[in-house]
Amino acid sequence: MENIILHNISKDFGTFRAVDGVNLTIKSGELFSFLGPSGCGKTTLLRMIAGFETPTEGSIYLGDKNISDLPPYKREVNTIFQNYSLFPHMTVFDNVAFGLKIKKRPKTEIKDRVHEMLKLVKMEDQANKYPDQISGGQKQRIAIARALINKPRVLLLDEPLAALDLKLRQHMLIELMDIHDAVGITFIYVTHDQGEAMSISDRLAVMNQGKIVQEGPPDDIYERPTSIFSAYFIGETNLITGDVYKVYDDYLELHCPDGTGKMLKLDSSFHKPVSEGTRITLSLRPEKIAISRFKPRPQDDINIIKGQIEDILYLGSHTQYIVRVGKLKFRVFSQHKRVYFDDKALDWEEEVWLFWHDTDTWLIEDNPLDILTDAELDDNGNLQRYVKRSKV
Amino acid sequence: MLSSREVLQEKKKNLSSWLLSLPSMIWLAFFFLVPYLIVVFYSFLTQDIYDVKFEFSLDAYRQIFTNGYLQPFFLSFKLAIYTVVICLLLGFPVAYYMARANDKLKNTLLILIIIPFWTNLIIRIFSWRIFLSYSGVLNGVLMKLGLISQPIEILRTNLAVILVMVYVYLPYMILPLYSVLEKLDFTLLNAAMDLGANEIKSFFLITLPLAIEGIFAGSLLVFIPALGAYLIPQLVGNQQSLYIGQVITYKVKNIPRNWPMASALSLTLLFMVAIMLLIIYAIYRHHLAKRSS
Amino acid sequence: MKLSPTKVYKGLNLTAFSLVMIFLYIPILILIVFSFNDSRIISGWQGFTFKYYIQLFHNPAIGEAFRNTMLIAGLSTVISTTLGIMAALGLENKQFKARKGLLALIYTPLVIPDILMGVSLALLFNFTRINTGMVTVLIAHVTFCISYTVIVIQSRLEGFDYSLVEAAADLGAKPHYIFWRIKFPLMLPGIIAAALLAFTLSIDDFIITFFTSGRGFDTLPIYVEGTIRRGTITTINALSTLMIGFTLFLVVITKRIRKILISAL
Repeated sequence: MENIILHNISKDFGTFRAVDGVNLTIKSGELFSFLGPSGCGKTTLLRMIAGFETPTEGSIYLGDKNISDLPPYKREVNTIFQNYSLFPHMTVFDNVAFGLKIKKRPKTEIKDRVHEMLKLVKMEDQANKYPDQISGGQKQRIAIARALINKPRVLLLDEPLAALDLKLRQHMLIELMDIHDAVGITFIYVTHDQGEAMSISDRLAVMNQGKIVQEGPPDDIYERPTSIFSAYFIGETNLITGDVYKVYDDYLELHCPDGTGKMLKLDSSFHKPVSEGTRITLSLRPEKIAISRFKPRPQDDINIIKGQIEDILYLGSHTQYIVRVGKLKFRVFSQHKRVYFDDKALDWEEEVWLFWHDTDTWLIEDNPLDILTDAELDDNGNLQRYVKRSKV
Repeated sequence: MLSSREVLQEKKKNLSSWLLSLPSMIWLAFFFLVPYLIVVFYSFLTQDIYDVKFEFSLDAYRQIFTNGYLQPFFLSFKLAIYTVVICLLLGFPVAYYMARANDKLKNTLLILIIIPFWTNLIIRIFSWRIFLSYSGVLNGVLMKLGLISQPIEILRTNLAVILVMVYVYLPYMILPLYSVLEKLDFTLLNAAMDLGANEIKSFFLITLPLAIEGIFAGSLLVFIPALGAYLIPQLVGNQQSLYIGQVITYKVKNIPRNWPMASALSLTLLFMVAIMLLIIYAIYRHHLAKRSS
Repeated sequence: MKLSPTKVYKGLNLTAFSLVMIFLYIPILILIVFSFNDSRIISGWQGFTFKYYIQLFHNPAIGEAFRNTMLIAGLSTVISTTLGIMAALGLENKQFKARKGLLALIYTPLVIPDILMGVSLALLFNFTRINTGMVTVLIAHVTFCISYTVIVIQSRLEGFDYSLVEAAADLGAKPHYIFWRIKFPLMLPGIIAAALLAFTLSIDDFIITFFTSGRGFDTLPIYVEGTIRRGTITTINALSTLMIGFTLFLVVITKRIRKILISAL
């Protein structure tokens, strides 16, 4: 098996450390994504695997071969560039044939292989066109064909869908997965779009400030984030900070100040040992909260709190409510706009009940550096500020 | 079909275009086109001992092929080719370096190239005379270093002519090369290397073809003036090997003037330039046709 | 740090650039240094002097050549720029029937060696028995400057945002007001660039002036060439240094002009 192994990789640009001590194994045949905000080091990492940058420290292995110092043209790794980088002075055919021509393969072989590749990406009839005569999505396919014809062990994709519009992006995503299944080699995919990363990847690594914050399968990272950063970066969430009041066998009791001097008493499951009296932060995904005009029947394992609707955003597939509880704000996704038997939809400033099962919260962090006075709402500035102060 | 109102509008626009461009048209017709017609006319006249005689003859053209006039043409052509090739070889890495510099440095480098470019031509030639002359700086330095025991003749050689030609016309090559290389997407080179091409191959397969317009433009900008060079051969060359620009000038300036000969030589030079332009245009068209088919 | 081929490549380019810089500047620097050298021959430093600069200002021939040069440059700049503005505006209309013909007339002089324009104009003046002198030199200079001014101004107009004209019209401006208050100011950088280019080309020209000036009308390049041939070069050192200073003043000191010069190329 030819895994990609990143061993203690760091990269400095002058005094700026772009990648900071990354250790990672990407399994052969896997579709692996690096996900993170711009400047997090994901592209630098990719460029080091491709050979365009040399690591300041550490080594990169392909199988058991150390490839850290090989120039790009000696690596069995090919790249799909963000703007495709098709050669403008060559036809589609010549672009795809480029790698084989460099290797001086016989003409008939080149012709057969190019047509085979163009067929794979459904572009057989465009062979004689020039890059400026085809559309963005077609360029994308040609870039893929041009890379795959060299039979690389690993295909690197650097934000390959960033230049396409939304519909085409969704379509190409599915096609990329099909191509991955067809060729069976390792794909390493870099993106800042969590939706893309979640839907396409077997596993992914969330990166921030040159470090890997969390790695694992998409559902694992979504359901069980290990840091505030990954909880926020993948999907949206409500963060709840409070003090552990009492620890039971399978749940704990939490006292959360709501900012007005009152205390919310909440129950939550937990997956690692915590002691009474410590301050912890929980993540609660907005779609796990139910919202109602009527108070639900109390149950042992259900948290129920009362709040007031501050904002309603109708988003088609779901509606987002912002609900004020004391000085805290909860974001709630409800799959359809709630309309009750009295034929009235929930309205601004209406008092509502929020409730969720105590296993729906996920313990992220002990002893957070800050108490979040409200669950910060889609305010990137605030998020960034918090993320910078928190332990990575 | 245009409506009558639209036709009227068109006519008004055309009239103002005529009025605006007529002065330049008349000027260029009188002082650019007409003079060439006179040159053509004179090239078929007869030269007496002292002056032109208005009698048709092909004497001037006949003389070009019989009286040793081909040598200056050949010399000028050789000079132009040498100058273009050397300018290209020197200019390409320079333009490449400039194009890849960061934006702040780029402006400084551009200024450094432009200052000599905007300095008076005759002064630049003159400075080389000081540098190369028999008692000049270069000879002085070479003697101090003990490389030569007595001054050598560098000025007044064909080598000096090529050297100064390159010096004067290098910026004409660098600037168009720079402007194409600056627009070159350098990730294409990354892509080529990613696909297995080493530095040398990616240079020949990607950089060079994409810089071809700059190479054509720069080569033309150097080739054309080099072919008609007068001042540089006159000031740093010798009188044993004359370039065509010098020969034409002597025919006009030296008494007795020989207008038919000067005209015939000028038209032959013009013909050479036209052939050259056609060849380059054909190559260029071929290059474009391949892309737009 | 390892020496990768890419680094070698970069190093080579830097080396080439540095060598070319030395090549471009060494002769000019030597010229400047020697304009202060108190010696009749060139090699060897004999001490610092200003005397050639003083001689320069007491030489009436140089003074006259300088005035001639400036007069010709000034007049040919004004005429060729005016003609250039008009022609460029005329060429704006893509449906203009004579457009292709005019463009051909404008572009052809650029691809023909200067010397041929010199010969043909000299012959024209000879044929029509016009006495060579200031007027003929002026005609010649305007002729070779027009192509450049039209092209520079036209290239500016090509990037012109016509929605500005529509916006002005929408806000109630009349055509002549739109031209002088909207279009002309926006054309101005191009016009200045064209004028500067024409001025420099005129000052710089030797060969066409050589063919079209009669005895007794010298511009600076003509005067300098004559002096070099006669061998009295010491004041030329000083004159050249002043002219280089003038270029430096244009290119480096005045930042605005510098930007325009770059865009003119």
